[in-house]
Amino acid sequence: MTVAAAAAALRRAGLGGITGSPLAFAVVLVAMALLLAVPFAHNGYLNNVFRNILMYAAMAYGWNLIGGYTGYVSFGNVTFFGIGAYSAAVLSAHGIDNLAAGVAVGAIASAAFAVVIGIPVLRLKGHYFGIATLGIALAVADIVANLDALGGSSGIAVHQVDDAHFSIYYYAMWLVALASILGTYAIARSKLGYAFVAIRENEDAAAVLGIWATRYKVTAWAIGAMMAGAAGAIFAPANGFIDPSITFATDANVFPIAMTILGGIGTVAGPFIGAVILAGANELLQRYFVKAHTLFFGAMIVVIVLVLPRGLVWLFGLRGGLRAWAKSLTTYKA
Amino acid sequence: MSDAALHIDGIGVRFGGLWALSEVSFEVERGAVLGLIGPNGSGKTTLMNVISGVYKPTTGEVRYGGHRIADVPTHDVCHLGIARTFQIVKPFANLNARENVAVGAMYGREGSKRSTRAAFERADELLEVVDLARVAYRRASDLTIPDRKRLEVAKALALDPEVLLLDEVMAGLNATEVEEALELLRRVNQRGVTLIVVEHLMKAIVSISTCIVVLAEGRKIAEGAPADVLASPQVIEAYLGSRWVKRQAQLEQIELERREAQHMPPPSPS
Repeated sequence: MTVAAAAAALRRAGLGGITGSPLAFAVVLVAMALLLAVPFAHNGYLNNVFRNILMYAAMAYGWNLIGGYTGYVSFGNVTFFGIGAYSAAVLSAHGIDNLAAGVAVGAIASAAFAVVIGIPVLRLKGHYFGIATLGIALAVADIVANLDALGGSSGIAVHQVDDAHFSIYYYAMWLVALASILGTYAIARSKLGYAFVAIRENEDAAAVLGIWATRYKVTAWAIGAMMAGAAGAIFAPANGFIDPSITFATDANVFPIAMTILGGIGTVAGPFIGAVILAGANELLQRYFVKAHTLFFGAMIVVIVLVLPRGLVWLFGLRGGLRAWAKSLTTYKA
Repeated sequence: MSDAALHIDGIGVRFGGLWALSEVSFEVERGAVLGLIGPNGSGKTTLMNVISGVYKPTTGEVRYGGHRIADVPTHDVCHLGIARTFQIVKPFANLNARENVAVGAMYGREGSKRSTRAAFERADELLEVVDLARVAYRRASDLTIPDRKRLEVAKALALDPEVLLLDEVMAGLNATEVEEALELLRRVNQRGVTLIVVEHLMKAIVSISTCIVVLAEGRKIAEGAPADVLASPQVIEAYLGSRWVKRQAQLEQIELERREAQHMPPPSPS
């Protein structure tokens, strides 16, 4: 009775709802606090590994807004990461090495691109939208590879600050990830979040309830673009060098999607949990299976999607433990 | 100046080669309850879609408060004060009943004035009104069909409408539930909301409507007070078929002839 009463009290307080499990969100915040400690190990390798996890988390949150909350599955969000990275690189080439300036310009440029592309492309639905976004991602990568001003396919060096363990970049990425998490939470607690979800659930019914779908879809895409763009703007100097094959990589496109689905699509905690698990697993597999790691990685994603189609966060809200989960495997309907 | 809230003027809707509606005109008085009836496929739902701005009419126009509905984007129709329910319910399946209604309260006519919290408070009130408070936290996809119909009504009411279009909200309800639904609609109407009700249940529609419009094969065949409309031969023909009307006429003829035969003296042998 007490558990049910507590759950009811949480719901009345407005917790849960479209944010997903409050418990999972608390776990994410605690994990983020722990991640602050990583640079104290003074280990450049560890900083890189965890900075990558935070980077993927920010990108996953960016994808989650359009793909998870609004229900428009984008295969082109890597474009925003690339635009952010190249924005920082261009600024750096002009002697501006300020991280905050890079993040601001990268985020704004990505959002602007999302608005310009989103107004026509977000009229498409379902698979058509996905294919169009994939096409845009490939086209932008090709355009950049052929622009001499951006270093073409051979890439462009980005000035790095003198920091033996890259701690500055680590903390900057941590801040971007935190902003993405808290931003998503704030959206999911606001009217904006409900507009996104209403569009996902039924766009026609949403319109009849007064929701101007185009405006909110573009908003979701643009806010998500800012998250990916900011992550890219930190990645560029942290990596010291970018080229189209790094910044518009298939991995960078697919990982955030897989992470969000693993963690829990359309939840506040899901992308982070998925990013930690998948980026961590990828790192370990890469260490021990130099060639075959993608095979294991792919198999892992398949198994996870089969046994946990609604993501890990869903387990937090599941009553009845393992038995209920086992039952869900046989009764789950898409 | 007429007191009409809604002007429906020469509406025609063509789907390919089929005119789903043609030259339908009538006006709806402010505060009225207009019953819209007609056999299956007569164009009732199409007309609801035109009034709510989901379809653009091929000919004619719907005017409300100085606006042509066809010029207003679908998402702004509710801001003019027109709300509707769907015959085939369209709940937000993964949201609970309370959230479903709250979305309407957030983005409807009064939505911009409401905070998230205020929208949820309004949703709680409306769930009480339509008797869904008992399942407020249940996912919409887990609700029974009658409850989903109630949810549709609550979502439409959350838009704070002046005109409410109700498309078969009583279908599938039992007699007691129909009585409750009618009571609810009367209460809504008494608060000044104009209702346009599409319904197959003749008893229900007669008891609530102040005026009835009858459609058949996309045309308006009758309009007026409920009793008059139901007595009109065209309406009877539309519902019961021309064969039935012909057969009624034949029966009458036979009856007449029988009576005449009885009253007339038997033909005398010459």
